[in-house]
Amino acid sequence: MSMMLMIHPDKCTGCRNCELACSMEHEGDFRPKASRIHVYTWEREGFSVPMMCQQCKDAACTTVCMPKAMHRNPANGQVELDQSKCIGCKMCVQACPFGCASWDFLGSQILKCDTCGGDPACATICPTHALEWVEDTVSAQARKRSFATKLKNAFAEV
Amino acid sequence: MKISYFALLRDATKKSHEVWQRPAATLRDLLRDLAAEYGPNFARWILKDGELAGYAIILVNGQDVRGLQGLDTPLSPDSDVFIFPPLAGG
Amino acid sequence: MHGWTGKILRIDLSTGKIATEALKTDLARDYIGARGLGTKYMYDEVDPTVDPLSPANKLIFASGPMTGTFAPSAGRYDVVTKGPLTGTIAASNSGGAWGPELKYAGYDMLILEGRSPKPVYLWIQDDNVEIRDAAHLWGKDVPETTETLNAETATDAKIACIGPAGENLSFIASIMNDMQRAAGRTGVGAVMGSKNLKAVVVRGTGAVTVADKTAFLAAVSKASTMIKEHPVGGTGLRLYGTNVLVNILNSVGGLPTGNFQDGHFETADKVGGETLAANQLQRPKGCFSCIISCGRATKVKHPKYKGEGEGPEYETAWGFGPDCRIDNLDAVIKANYYCNEYGLDTISMGGTVACAMELFDRGIITLEDTEGLELTFGNADAMVEAVRLAGIGQGFGKKLALGSYRLASLYGHPELSMTVKKQEMPAYDPRAVQGIGLNYATNNRGGCHVRGYTISPEVLGVPVKVDKDSIDGKAELVALFQNLTAALDSSGSCLFATFGIGAPEFAELMTALTGFAYTGDSFIEAGERIWNLERLWNLKAGLTAADDTLPPRLLSEPIVTGPSKGAVSRLPEMLPLYYGVRGWDANGVPTPEKLSALALA
Repeated sequence: MSMMLMIHPDKCTGCRNCELACSMEHEGDFRPKASRIHVYTWEREGFSVPMMCQQCKDAACTTVCMPKAMHRNPANGQVELDQSKCIGCKMCVQACPFGCASWDFLGSQILKCDTCGGDPACATICPTHALEWVEDTVSAQARKRSFATKLKNAFAEV
Repeated sequence: MKISYFALLRDATKKSHEVWQRPAATLRDLLRDLAAEYGPNFARWILKDGELAGYAIILVNGQDVRGLQGLDTPLSPDSDVFIFPPLAGG
Repeated sequence: MHGWTGKILRIDLSTGKIATEALKTDLARDYIGARGLGTKYMYDEVDPTVDPLSPANKLIFASGPMTGTFAPSAGRYDVVTKGPLTGTIAASNSGGAWGPELKYAGYDMLILEGRSPKPVYLWIQDDNVEIRDAAHLWGKDVPETTETLNAETATDAKIACIGPAGENLSFIASIMNDMQRAAGRTGVGAVMGSKNLKAVVVRGTGAVTVADKTAFLAAVSKASTMIKEHPVGGTGLRLYGTNVLVNILNSVGGLPTGNFQDGHFETADKVGGETLAANQLQRPKGCFSCIISCGRATKVKHPKYKGEGEGPEYETAWGFGPDCRIDNLDAVIKANYYCNEYGLDTISMGGTVACAMELFDRGIITLEDTEGLELTFGNADAMVEAVRLAGIGQGFGKKLALGSYRLASLYGHPELSMTVKKQEMPAYDPRAVQGIGLNYATNNRGGCHVRGYTISPEVLGVPVKVDKDSIDGKAELVALFQNLTAALDSSGSCLFATFGIGAPEFAELMTALTGFAYTGDSFIEAGERIWNLERLWNLKAGLTAADDTLPPRLLSEPIVTGPSKGAVSRLPEMLPLYYGVRGWDANGVPTPEKLSALALA
């Protein structure tokens, strides 16, 4: 078992407090472009989705990282970046299918969620719990239950 | 008397208004009975330690009870009571 | 500088000259930002008698020091200019993410001068600023413009633009940002249109920095907790939006009905926040850095009024609803969508349709005047069509786009326009709630609720309940609320943060963020300075104490039905007291002593 960041887009209001908390935590100022999490909003529909590293088990970014700066930590199940080994080749940026490793041209660094060392600032600040830091076993069940509730309500209305 | 509920109190009571038959001499009597009827999801917005909860808005015949006698505001069978949880807008 | 970026971008649209300059530090401290700082620059640079739609008027987009930080619900900016609707100094406030993006691009303010010879838009990417041709965008509505511009600049660029209403110089045109948020009031969209400026597109990669991080984080944490745990700020607004107010205002008899002919609408509940939450609401929305989420993403399925977007707010639901004696929420929301799409202020539009309905009702205008629109009270289809026509500037819509004062004056009946300083009043009847009437009458941008929201104590009881029918203490209350709001508007905060925090908390946030020492008192004093500066501008623009009034109806025609039956506004008794509290003379002119105390002399 390890921890994961659970995303609930249905609860996201698009306020981007997560981006601000991430930027403050890692950069010490408010610079959303340097945030490791980004919220995408579709203004016509009023729908928002936060996106950040999914900490893949079989992570493309670790496979392509030549100096092995990007690696999986078996102890906590997270994909971690050792900045001291990173050569800035940006192969992880190319490889990540979710686009969740990016290059910060101002700071000359790879931006990737490090879960703030196990206490993610984005989940702490999220005013609607659209982001939750939960056990990966529990979270999957919670999602199942939440969908089951929707089904129940749908049938109850029939 | 006629009672109207708003916002979260509609969730708590599952209705927007009702005709209340049980006698109540004062607002205190009425709220005690309503709290018993609708439980904590109703009471927590309206009452705190037996007094009116802060920011709850209760109107008797269009008058805010905070400008009348609060919980001691007298009621009669033809009183029109509006109960709002704390709310804001702008 | 911290909080502020310390830089201003100035563009002369007549010549295409683009320049940057340093923000004046002492002005930033004393006038804070956004509304206050923008007004100070206007005061120093523009003749108040200027024709608002001439090249000599300036258009300032101004963020506040807190904008772009995670101070709770503080991501706002103001559009500051001379308002064509009112002739007053105008600052129209908006949320969304545009204001923060301007900061990240490196600018506290964008000052626009002159008039472009042809339609253009601005593309601001950090230090790279371009004036681009906008011929292909002219005539497009707000969603189309926004999507086209995102496609041709950057998908993550933030866009403020006008719709057809602003292009047509409607006096009630808004500037829309992030597609759904409005700098709505005083006709700022027409100023943008007069400058042939379709849009300002911004993308920033920079940072907003903080003077004392530890203290700022502590102040933010405290303020956020106070807002979340406050019974009023914490839950209701997210669940029901601002429109939850329909029922409470109706229940106390202060819901203006039928163009303010009455203060009570029997079926108001049908357009209230509870009905909205149960039917059209998709989910709550939050502006940048917001922890309250009062925004409404909504969808209407009714074939006739089909659409999706954001809204309605309370004032919008009231304006297209009870003020027009309409209780069809789908139709109300459709009118809201049209306003967002064509770039119209919903409050002024609602008030103008209501005024037209009264003119029609009284036979002052006929089907011939309206070109076939059956503008009877309660006619939802006619209301929606009237809004559409005003948005695109066709038919009778051309006259509606002037706002109710000019419309009613065209037909010889300005007294039927429910306006103060020619701007439509919002959704609180001054006969039923005395303090808000004093605020409307003395408001520096005319009929406006947000700059002195005494509804909070007078109706909601926040922070304490005061008697709405009494005039005792109202002069002091109105002045205090006006001062506090001027300061918090200028900081970039949302007014709704006050449903949880007050001046001491704003001062803590500002001090930790900027490094300048603010106290609760000095923060409010900055607000008083801003208020007086706005007053000085208006006096120089030619307004007088005679303009500090309400429509005669509210002073002499009592409310007809409901709990406030029989009430009239007691403005004439309150106004002299207010001038006294303000340190102004009997003509409403700030005394030299007052100006000197505020460092305005």
